[in-house]
Amino acid sequence: MTTHQPATSAANETKAILEVADVTKTYGEGHTQVTAIANASLQVQQGQFVSLLGPSGSGKTTLISMIGGLLTPTSGTIRLGNEVISSMSKKELTRLRAERVGFVFQSSNLVPFLTARENLLYVASLPKNHDRKAAAKRADNLLAELGLSERANNVPEKLSGGERQRVAIGRALMNDPDLVLVDEPTAALDTALGRQVVELLAREVKQRGKTGIMVTHDLRMVEYTDEVFEILDGKLTKSTGNAALAVH
Amino acid sequence: MRLALLEMRRAKLRFGLLAGAVSLLIFLVLFLSTLSGALIESFTGAIKNLDANVLVYSDTARDNIQGSRLSPTIVAQVATVPGVAAAGGIATTTTSAVLPDGKGDLALFGFTPGQPGAPSGLTDGRLPSAANETAVDAPGATIGSTMTLLPSNIELQVVGILTGAQFNAAPTAYVDLPSYQAAIKATNPNAPFIPLNAVAVATDAGSDPATVAQTITDTVPGTTGYTVSTAVSKIPGVASVSQTFGILVGLTFIISIVVIGFFFLILTVQKLRVFTLLRASGASPARLAGSVVFQITAVVVLASAIAVLLVWGALKGASSGIPVSLDPALVVVTVLAVWLFSLGAGLLSIRRIRSIDPATAAGAR
Repeated sequence: MTTHQPATSAANETKAILEVADVTKTYGEGHTQVTAIANASLQVQQGQFVSLLGPSGSGKTTLISMIGGLLTPTSGTIRLGNEVISSMSKKELTRLRAERVGFVFQSSNLVPFLTARENLLYVASLPKNHDRKAAAKRADNLLAELGLSERANNVPEKLSGGERQRVAIGRALMNDPDLVLVDEPTAALDTALGRQVVELLAREVKQRGKTGIMVTHDLRMVEYTDEVFEILDGKLTKSTGNAALAVH
Repeated sequence: MRLALLEMRRAKLRFGLLAGAVSLLIFLVLFLSTLSGALIESFTGAIKNLDANVLVYSDTARDNIQGSRLSPTIVAQVATVPGVAAAGGIATTTTSAVLPDGKGDLALFGFTPGQPGAPSGLTDGRLPSAANETAVDAPGATIGSTMTLLPSNIELQVVGILTGAQFNAAPTAYVDLPSYQAAIKATNPNAPFIPLNAVAVATDAGSDPATVAQTITDTVPGTTGYTVSTAVSKIPGVASVSQTFGILVGLTFIISIVVIGFFFLILTVQKLRVFTLLRASGASPARLAGSVVFQITAVVVLASAIAVLLVWGALKGASSGIPVSLDPALVVVTVLAVWLFSLGAGLLSIRRIRSIDPATAAGAR
């Protein structure tokens, strides 16, 4: 049984599904201490798909990892709905990732010995009390929506890069998560395919009323997102327009 | 478990080869253990399965029943020792005989019917109760068949069939002491008396056989008492045969465990990226460790089934003078031991899985 800590935030009035408040992440101690993220704050509403833009090593992945419950912040608070992620135990974080967060990592990262359909079904089996029949139906529907019905029984090595990334999107959406986190989804794809994948992601997130955060360093992809946050040397700022993005 | 099963289905060759290799190792463990057990049984069965708790040899016997010489009067002396419920003389010699399957060596035992020292393990018929009747553990012998002792030409009629009663890997015949003495007298007519080789003792209920054996040694001059298990372990060659086979079986066992442990560790290291991804997706370490446990169990079960078939075939095909059969208890104990120790070796993999940091899936470290 997990314990859920109630969030105490004035931002509740805005109904932000995700709230990151004054989060800092440091590695090491003393002279070797490195601050990866410094006092980052952001809020994302339900149904929003936002991008997190920044160069390599700026702290994008560290921030998204904390938001997704893969890392625990050194200080600050991260809240997803009514759960405070930042103070959860490892066991609670595992449960949270299985039930409420969907990930799309760089270069798809599928289980190589499972077919596309099985990759989706395995993730569906992770939460407690999962319904097998419902999961099978949902997997088939998702694969159909993603244009992968004909490829459902192929293992990843038989799929193209774009197909693999679409399977990864399906897997991220499989457990009907509140939050979809996408890390450099176009890293292994050419421009045209990258655009298709991000467009698909944006559409799926919005249609399903999910909240999505996409980490990217590719400026061309931000047009599909509602808001753009920039991160540089661990400092997070909300982008105000194209002028600000021009620095990249 | 489904993840483990699907992986095995998609990598049939890899897991099939492992199961094949492990099955050969389990085969060796089972085959060597069976052979060793049968060999030792054929050397010691006659002593091990005597109806007695304690055996008394002469103190010059050097722990060997065949080197022991006791006067028949010693039985009465042993019977008076505290803790002794009953005592009976045993005599034994190796002689030539015409057996049901041809001429060969025969271990002849004489005992006193109704007293300790009778053979156990009767599978058919009865124990001898009259002159020149015999109960035998010999290939081809049947109730009513005969065997002739050489050179005395005394004919023994088989009235009982025994199992596990061989001595020195030779067929064995049990007769009453007068028949035994008559057979020896026939070839040594000038012998003043036919010595006994041992006194078999049944101890009182509640008496410790080891204590009774020591008391006999202490109180009956010229004798040494042994519990039956001690007497068996002291039969010449038994300890070295046991030790040699023990080393072979032990080494094979260890190799099979190491093979399984290393295989799954290599497999785990190869799959670290997948395990990391699954940890990031919300799979618990216990769940992933469970898939390793499932695969180890599946490999051991499959390998054991193949190994049992191989041993069964090998024992069926092998023809030796020693009765050899696969003991189900040995199979169960061996398979359980391989499984448990394999799980122990699998802990290396499980430890590796537990140390996975899911954050590395996103490259955050």
